[in-house]
Amino acid sequence: MAYVAVRGGAEAIEASLEHLQYERVKRGAHISVHTLQSTMRGFLDQVMSESSLYSERLASLAMKQSEGNAEEAVFLLRAHRSTLPRMYYSTVTNAREMFVLRRISASFKDIPGGQILGASHDYLHRLLDFDLLEETVADVELKKAAFEQINKPEESNLALEQLPKVMDYLRDEGLIRKFSLNNQEPKDVTKQALTFPTNRSQRLQTLTRGQTGTITSLGYAGLRGYGASHPNVGEVRVGWQPIYVALEDDDMDPYYIGAIKLTEVESFIPVDVDDDGQQVLEFDVGYGACFGQNETKAIAMSIVDHALEVGGDSPIHDEEFVLLHVDMIESTGFISHLKMPHYVTFQAKLEQMRSIKKEGNQ
Amino acid sequence: MKRAERTKLLIEVGREEALQMANEVCSHYEVIEIQAPREGLVMIKMRESAQQSLFYIGETLVTETKVKVGEAFGLGLVREYEPELSKALAIIDAAYNGQLPIVAKWESLLTKLSQRLDLKQQEIKCSIERTKVQFDTMSI
Repeated sequence: MAYVAVRGGAEAIEASLEHLQYERVKRGAHISVHTLQSTMRGFLDQVMSESSLYSERLASLAMKQSEGNAEEAVFLLRAHRSTLPRMYYSTVTNAREMFVLRRISASFKDIPGGQILGASHDYLHRLLDFDLLEETVADVELKKAAFEQINKPEESNLALEQLPKVMDYLRDEGLIRKFSLNNQEPKDVTKQALTFPTNRSQRLQTLTRGQTGTITSLGYAGLRGYGASHPNVGEVRVGWQPIYVALEDDDMDPYYIGAIKLTEVESFIPVDVDDDGQQVLEFDVGYGACFGQNETKAIAMSIVDHALEVGGDSPIHDEEFVLLHVDMIESTGFISHLKMPHYVTFQAKLEQMRSIKKEGNQ
Repeated sequence: MKRAERTKLLIEVGREEALQMANEVCSHYEVIEIQAPREGLVMIKMRESAQQSLFYIGETLVTETKVKVGEAFGLGLVREYEPELSKALAIIDAAYNGQLPIVAKWESLLTKLSQRLDLKQQEIKCSIERTKVQFDTMSI
């Protein structure tokens, strides 16, 4: 069968785009980017994490333009990101310096600094609040003022900017292996395509920018028996992470550029370790961290991180399976391409099937 | 005061003061804009706590400005799209790099900003304190 080049559809595509624009405005309602930025924290955190670009303003704009479609918003942000120059690298950012707003441990009841619940959906009944249907700007102002007038302690000794890590105590007891600082420069998956086997920096970068649902599902699969571990969450911390930039590597007085919201998780996984011929039990640590307050994603990431570290037979231990499928743009892009015209390939298959069927009938 | 602390105070609690400080410099010295405010990215290098290695967690949008005041260069770098603040930070940076006499009178202002930041953080702590769990032993 010969290929025949065809063209057409330009006018139809233009009209389709006009219809798309109309869908966003046809009800005559308007929402400002400022309003989205002020009220859609959860969506923005997810989209910033998956696009690997931290900017509430751009994420809000992407949300507005995409009509709240997360897949499209991430695509817009990744595309915009590719137009911007990368000016600097930050100094080494360590979540020990985070100004913590929430920090819990599922492993220990009493932890230095205490269990700090902060703001979380975890303790909600998940009942729809129908009062919000009629909420006005004045209502919002009233609720804001009411919260700010709640009696608070006059002083606080919470050292939120230097809370110790829960795992430090297990490390001090020798129950978690100690690692010395590894300052090897990370590889950057945005600069160099993945090749296998990967190193730890490539795995963590790919997981942290992975699609939230995919990472969560893989973590869940790991828990259900498709992985070798059932962790205890040692610590989940969420807070404001200060970011610094130094112009020279040895510059001891860097520029502070602002703080970003971050979630970090350490999970404890019991493992048998050979200690001079004796099998002893200790804990491995699975690590998860991502932009914004995305606790489920970070916990799931810690499970998948550990699964990839230790290896195994099931899919979540297979780095090619995991790392090549978690990215939002790669997966949705490839699935979406199936909508594109495949007239020639389908015609070829059709001809083949007709021919086989015809031969069978003879 | 070190640059890290100074830039933190100006960005977190001293936006208006930064604009005023920059205006003061502009009214006494010639400020040459080497690089007008422009958007770009900073890649964030992160230390993971499980094995103490490094990885890239993602990029943040920043606004960068470069200026020259006298013989001194200044850089203004701030997260998000903040052209005015970025330029002000660059001018202030140049003033400190050039050790201009004007910086001496800013020390008391920066001390006030430091107190403002402490107060802001203390208010957050007092509010967050209410969400700290107080465990009681249940009687059986």
